[in-house]
Amino acid sequence: MSIDKKFIGKTWPAQSYDVCKEKIKEYAKAIKNPDPHYVDEEFAEKSAYGTIIAPPTFSVVFGAHLIEPIFFDNELNLNLAMLVHGEQEFEFYEVVKAGDTVTTTARISHIENKEKLDVITIELLSKNQQGRDVCKGIYTFVVRK
Amino acid sequence: MGEKTIQKGTTFSAQETVDKYRAIYYAGASGDFNPIHIDPEFGKMVGLGGVILHGLCAAGFVVKTITDWLGDPGKLKRFKCRFASPVHLDDVITTTGEVIEVKENRANIVLKVSNQNGIDVETNVSAEVEV
Repeated sequence: MSIDKKFIGKTWPAQSYDVCKEKIKEYAKAIKNPDPHYVDEEFAEKSAYGTIIAPPTFSVVFGAHLIEPIFFDNELNLNLAMLVHGEQEFEFYEVVKAGDTVTTTARISHIENKEKLDVITIELLSKNQQGRDVCKGIYTFVVRK
Repeated sequence: MGEKTIQKGTTFSAQETVDKYRAIYYAGASGDFNPIHIDPEFGKMVGLGGVILHGLCAAGFVVKTITDWLGDPGKLKRFKCRFASPVHLDDVITTTGEVIEVKENRANIVLKVSNQNGIDVETNVSAEVEV
């Protein structure tokens, strides 16, 4: 069954996430990135940012708190067994630092029905505790029929 | 850190090996425990020949190549890729970037991301950085 295009524009409630340096270090280790901006507190304090910062793609960690409810949304009813991550885009506006509280909202921006598959694009916008945009994550998933 | 020259035609490259436990580390750190990434039997059952690495972990390797080259992760302003082919454990991923345009304080980069067999695992890979 195709994903109904009426869901374009559907939004989900905002989720807040407290960014902590230990989670940043764990994520940096997982992506094999020991950049001192992420893992070396002494270096980070002397850097232009003054503290540990998150790798750019760390945004998927707080993004996951939106993606999960979308995947399990009863109304949208995505067939997860047939779903693959097709494309990913990020726009970075401001660096995310340890100690930030990031609030993310999600919206379905695009649905396309093809003969053998559907394409669904979800846009996540994240803001920091000052209300400034930190990043946008554009996730495109392909669901085979 | 010295000033880096970023101009049209500038290239950079790096390689990363997907060690046997990488998808487990990434699942733990990202919270993505989809069985295709952590359960080899499930991966075989759905025709993937075992587990595959999370696309976003492989994208993390590519972004690392860019930010290592820049020296400042905050200078990455945009990144885009298509997950074209699965990345398996023990794969060696080579990323090569080339600056195609420099306009005011921004540079546009295109990247090639391929495995040890010459297959492009990500396609349409591009980035925009501050210069």
